[in-house]
Amino acid sequence: MLATVYRLTLRTQARIGRLAALGALGAVAVLVGLAIGVGDLDDTLEAGTRLVNTYGLSIYAPVVALVFGAAALGDPADDGTLGYLWLRPVRRSHIVVGAYGAALSVVLPLTLVPLVVAAALSGGGGALVRGTVLAATVAATAYTALFAYLGLRVRRSLVWGLTYILIWEGFVALAGDTAARLALRSYTRSVLADATGVRLRLADVSLPIAVGVPLVVAAVALALTTRRLHRMEVP
Amino acid sequence: MTWAAHPDGVVIELDHVSKWFGDVVAVSDVTFEIRPGITALLGPNGAGKSTVLRLLCGLARPSQGHVRLLGLDPRRDLSLLGRIGLVPQQEALFEPLTPLETVEAAARLLKVLAPRDTAAAALELVEVDPGDPRPVRALSKGNRQRVKVAMALVHDPDVLVLDEPLNGLDPRQRVHLIELVRSLGERPGRCVVVSSHVLDEVERFGSRILVIAQGRLAAEGDFRRIRDLMDDRPHRIRVGSADAAPLAAALLEAGVVQGVRLVDGGLEVETSEVRAFRSAVAVVARDRRLALDEVVPLDDDLDSVFRYLVGR
Repeated sequence: MLATVYRLTLRTQARIGRLAALGALGAVAVLVGLAIGVGDLDDTLEAGTRLVNTYGLSIYAPVVALVFGAAALGDPADDGTLGYLWLRPVRRSHIVVGAYGAALSVVLPLTLVPLVVAAALSGGGGALVRGTVLAATVAATAYTALFAYLGLRVRRSLVWGLTYILIWEGFVALAGDTAARLALRSYTRSVLADATGVRLRLADVSLPIAVGVPLVVAAVALALTTRRLHRMEVP
Repeated sequence: MTWAAHPDGVVIELDHVSKWFGDVVAVSDVTFEIRPGITALLGPNGAGKSTVLRLLCGLARPSQGHVRLLGLDPRRDLSLLGRIGLVPQQEALFEPLTPLETVEAAARLLKVLAPRDTAAAALELVEVDPGDPRPVRALSKGNRQRVKVAMALVHDPDVLVLDEPLNGLDPRQRVHLIELVRSLGERPGRCVVVSSHVLDEVERFGSRILVIAQGRLAAEGDFRRIRDLMDDRPHRIRVGSADAAPLAAALLEAGVVQGVRLVDGGLEVETSEVRAFRSAVAVVARDRRLALDEVVPLDDDLDSVFRYLVGR
């Protein structure tokens, strides 16, 4: 059952237009990473870390996860095909995990490849590359689950998701430590800061917590999505 | 759960079911039972037919009342979903998949043995080529509809629900689908529920009809009884004539109308015996040498028929 839901979601959601548009955004990171690498900078580790943090983890990874995470179950709910999944003797958790798995298997490579290439081209070294791999993986895992729930919970999930990314995480969460704890970004940037040793603002969470909290957020989001799917009225 | 568990033969039961969305009441206090065989749900567009079908499949939760399918709550018992086949009204399908992939996916989710072969057989049953390599987004509306029917049939369900299944089909496809639905309804114990807003269509599916209008159950029973109810109601008819006044007097004298009103260019009559009126009006005009230009029913559309049934 999981495999069937996974394949259905992957075939219907991984559209060329989406992949191309988001791939172009990823290419921006690669180009900036290249510019840092060939430029005359004293500290390429810090410049590369700030690139991965401010563009990769703050904008690119959340947006990619939003597009595919919200579409995983949100698109079928909007176009009516969710009924074909819902009206089957399949555990709701299997539908959610299958759809989430399909979204994640697009989001992970689409996020990791350009950010890791950008990190490598920037000349930041192995620490930056390792930190980017771990931070981007944590970000993709958590954001995709969070936005999968959002996609099933609200209409116009892209607008709500962008509001969360740009207004909450990009503005409100920068106000102080307490607000930052309620933003996934502070955990993913802590992972990056821990790996590179570069000081980043509001990135003072220990590595186990920085990895663990987003994974817990992902698990809770998937549980809530399952509950929502079980209780919702299917259009 | 087996059919033996329902000695009274009831497969679907709606007990004082209402459904509202905010201030809009879609279904109001509907109670009925459906037994094996074909039952047609008839009503004008927006009457609440699709909501009733969604309620009985468990896709929607009643705001009030209870829905039972094979004695169970379709929203609570997951295993029940494997015994339902639904052809929804909306057109959306898994667009990039071929017809065979689409039906095979449904078969796999329904835990059908040999899903690919069974899916191919279901497609052949609805006259779609299982080897068609085109994605469903490239198919005609009629073929997409038939793929939806194949998805609903692939697991040989005990309860088959079809929401306006003839939409988008050409006349030959309509005849074929009607024949197919009739044959599916002949399997002992199977219950087929099919909705439509066209009486002539539903009476070809089967004899039992539920009429839904304005969210309420307006009538139920054999289609001949429903047809008689519709024919026996008071009809308003416009008669075009340059001799309106003498024609009105003659029709009243003939006893085929209950009321007459003179209007510009003719008269409007009210009659509860529409067949007798239609037979008499030309004869009366000819015998009295009165002009008769046209005879036009004013309330023969389905909405007015349903309004009458609801208001009875």
